[in-house]
Amino acid sequence: MPNASFGKRVRRNEDARLLTGRAMFVDDVNLPGMLHVAFVRSMVAHGTLKSVDVSAARERPGVVAVYTAGDLGDYCKPGPVLVNPPPVPGHVFHACTQLPLAKEKVRYVGEPIAMIVAESRYIAEDALADVLVDIDPIDAVNDLEAAMAPGAPLVHPHLSSNAAAHVVQRKGDYAKARAAADVVVKRRFLYDRGVSAAIENRAVAVDWNPRTEDMTIWDTTQAPIPIRNGLARMLGLLESQVRVVAPFVGGGFGPKIMMFYPEELLLPWAAMRIKRPLKWTEDRQENFFATTQERGQVHEAEMALSKDGRILGVRDWFLCDTGAYDPYGLTIPINTQCTLLGPYDIPNYDTEFTSVFTNKPIVTPVRGAGRQHGVFVSERLLDLAARELNIDRVEIRKRNLLGPDRFPHNHEIMFQDSAPLVYDSGNYLPTLEQAAEIIGYDAFVRDEQPRLRAQGKRVGVGIACYVEGTGIGPYEGARVTVEPSGTVRVATGVGTQGQGHFTVLAQIVSDVLGVAVEDVRVVTGDTREFHWGTGTFASRGAVVAGSACHAAATLVRGKILDLAGAVLGVAPEDLELGGGRVRIAGSNADGIALGDLAGKANPLRGAVRPGTEPGLESTAYFGPDRGSTASGVHAMIVEVDPETAAVEIKRYLVVHDCGTIINPLLVEGQIHGGVAHGIGNAFYEALVYDEQAQLMNASFMDYLLPTATDVPTIETAHRETPSPFNVLGLKGVGEAGCIPTGAVFAQAVEDALGVESGVEITEIPLSPNRLFQLIEEGRSR
Amino acid sequence: MNLSGTFTFAGPRSAVWSLLHDPTVLAKVLPGTKSLVQAEPGKFQGTMKVSIGPLTAAEFAVTVVLSDESEPSHFAMQIDGKGGVGFVRGTAVVDLADGPDAGTVMTYSSDVQIGGRIAAVGQRMLESVSRMMMKQAFDALNAEVQARMQSGA
Repeated sequence: MPNASFGKRVRRNEDARLLTGRAMFVDDVNLPGMLHVAFVRSMVAHGTLKSVDVSAARERPGVVAVYTAGDLGDYCKPGPVLVNPPPVPGHVFHACTQLPLAKEKVRYVGEPIAMIVAESRYIAEDALADVLVDIDPIDAVNDLEAAMAPGAPLVHPHLSSNAAAHVVQRKGDYAKARAAADVVVKRRFLYDRGVSAAIENRAVAVDWNPRTEDMTIWDTTQAPIPIRNGLARMLGLLESQVRVVAPFVGGGFGPKIMMFYPEELLLPWAAMRIKRPLKWTEDRQENFFATTQERGQVHEAEMALSKDGRILGVRDWFLCDTGAYDPYGLTIPINTQCTLLGPYDIPNYDTEFTSVFTNKPIVTPVRGAGRQHGVFVSERLLDLAARELNIDRVEIRKRNLLGPDRFPHNHEIMFQDSAPLVYDSGNYLPTLEQAAEIIGYDAFVRDEQPRLRAQGKRVGVGIACYVEGTGIGPYEGARVTVEPSGTVRVATGVGTQGQGHFTVLAQIVSDVLGVAVEDVRVVTGDTREFHWGTGTFASRGAVVAGSACHAAATLVRGKILDLAGAVLGVAPEDLELGGGRVRIAGSNADGIALGDLAGKANPLRGAVRPGTEPGLESTAYFGPDRGSTASGVHAMIVEVDPETAAVEIKRYLVVHDCGTIINPLLVEGQIHGGVAHGIGNAFYEALVYDEQAQLMNASFMDYLLPTATDVPTIETAHRETPSPFNVLGLKGVGEAGCIPTGAVFAQAVEDALGVESGVEITEIPLSPNRLFQLIEEGRSR
Repeated sequence: MNLSGTFTFAGPRSAVWSLLHDPTVLAKVLPGTKSLVQAEPGKFQGTMKVSIGPLTAAEFAVTVVLSDESEPSHFAMQIDGKGGVGFVRGTAVVDLADGPDAGTVMTYSSDVQIGGRIAAVGQRMLESVSRMMMKQAFDALNAEVQARMQSGA
């Protein structure tokens, strides 16, 4: 293809707007007569809601309306279950979803109780203190294991326990494998996560026009089309009466795909009653309570191996925090179950989890979505097995990788997309070898580490493998239009939160149509532009929407060739596209500009031939049967100060395989951001709750995010094993950077401290403080 | 949060006891107290304005109910404070014993739950601020005790 941009380091089309502050975000929506909203939220994690007195708030000057659950009437219904559990035989799932405003009971700090609409946000916030909320506290359910103990207070009293779900998946015969094993390593692992910490918090703005009876909703959602469809249904409107726009969004990472947040349900409802535009923008502190997060799992896991280090089987049993409600079904723990298998050949696998209700904010996926929990368990077990069997850490991994002849590989358990876990393609050994080579693993372990140790320096290397299920269905679509100006418009339904859709989707289309990348204008996340699709999640934007763009562009290409052939009097196959023009292949003639051809395809007089459509425009959809599986290896070198427990990351390497690469610059950007998230998860971030489930560090003063000085320069290397599941061979990359980070961090720090330290790391997050404790405990052993 | 400790007043138990039950005195000695009245025997109500870390001048409606009273040596308190930035709820137990130099040794322990924004962003200052406020209160109360001793003597 001429001027093909595919695989090139094309700069991002959207950056000029973003970097000069001209991009529109939801909070930029300011309409005449707009009112502002604030929410009264529960300060108690668990309690009986006895009364809510809003009379004083209603009288405050500037307050326009105050609503409680009682004012909502039939609209106060529990929200939908977003993701139904995959059809795993024998699974148990208790769906308990949230009311838009609490009634009778509160189940977490931050649960909305009343909504205040006022002339300004200042007045709305002042009115919060006017509302008298009377709650009889109940002992909070905080700890996962205590939650499952007999007699624990119940988050949902109509259930007999705090278990939200229970799933067992089995492959092969683990008991038999264990009986035949030479060694079994067994540990308890803790893995906790935190908030997504998107730079932009959530926001909703609504404009209901009572004359035209239509509504525009600006929403920071990752899923504008399902939001539109759901709201239309709940508000009794046609889908065509509701337009949802997800403009530029400053980071999604998962929580912005939650549907429906109470604020998303309440603002449109109230706007129809008040008949004025409304806006609510979440503040940072609210975000710690009102936006979903990901949290802890407790694993009891064991791995059975032969004495030459081959994995015979794995058994894993875990508890998983789902928070006060479980609208996102089983996605996170199923991801954990599946991703634990990694790139390894694990013939026998017993995995069982119980998902647990607690009095904390709702848990939904945050970048990685349970995958890192599983990777941590399997990678740590491999490290322990390597030590016990006296086999090198890289070597034991090599011995267990699935070979290139094993694809497609069916793992015989169910993945989150309700399809069996089948890896489409992969080439794991060269990835691991390349990572070991770039980080200089052999030389480091043989020469460097002993040399530095002799100088008293505690340095260590970690290396860990992972896979990432990406690009799942059901489908996305795209419409590609050549405008008479020659500019190509692409509209797709996914929302965009900084991934670079305006560039990668443009690259795909530009290559098919032979136009410059910057002449392709992409529109995402506006239901008026494109209204079929599901959303941005599971590292699927480039794979699924990208494939749809490719399909639509290919149809347009056909139309261009057909029409140009007729105009030029040649067969379509004798034509070529390039430089925004179509011309006879091999000729020096100018041919026809695509814009002019678009004009000819939409004449004002004459006839468009029967069987053809006007314009150079096509719509196409792509729906993969199942996701494509990306993979990679992270390696890092750290130095640990055993006195202060400070950890300095000397090197961080990611060797990554996301199939065919559209744009290495953007792949690296995704990886860099992911690693930063991963480092935060491994060593800085933690949500700290007291016994009554009060979050004690709800600000960036106390909740530590890694800063530029904490994130090292990240080295990357790319490998490309195309996916056979889509024409372009694409796999996703959005979560790759943060999946094995905790595992590789733990391994590197443990290696730096040395076996003699007695330190064994079976938990994430660490912190300098926690690591210091572990070092002290190791000394006293 | 659990706070406990002892404080020695320079006066007899009877004087300390009566001051600890006098809303006018308590309003004067407790930092940030805007008002404090005895609503009924054994029950005090008032408002306090305190600053904890990033939360400045946070106002609380406070109710204290006394129980288990055994003059002049022992009483318990149920404390309930509510405000726009959170709540404080808990119990405290106070014991008064004769101390050296005709003084009184007060032993106190409290167990309070904190919720809302004061828990979320004030937590790491909360204990030190509470200790500081208690010390200020006790010092001021001790000054009152001494003043009464002198004027009464």
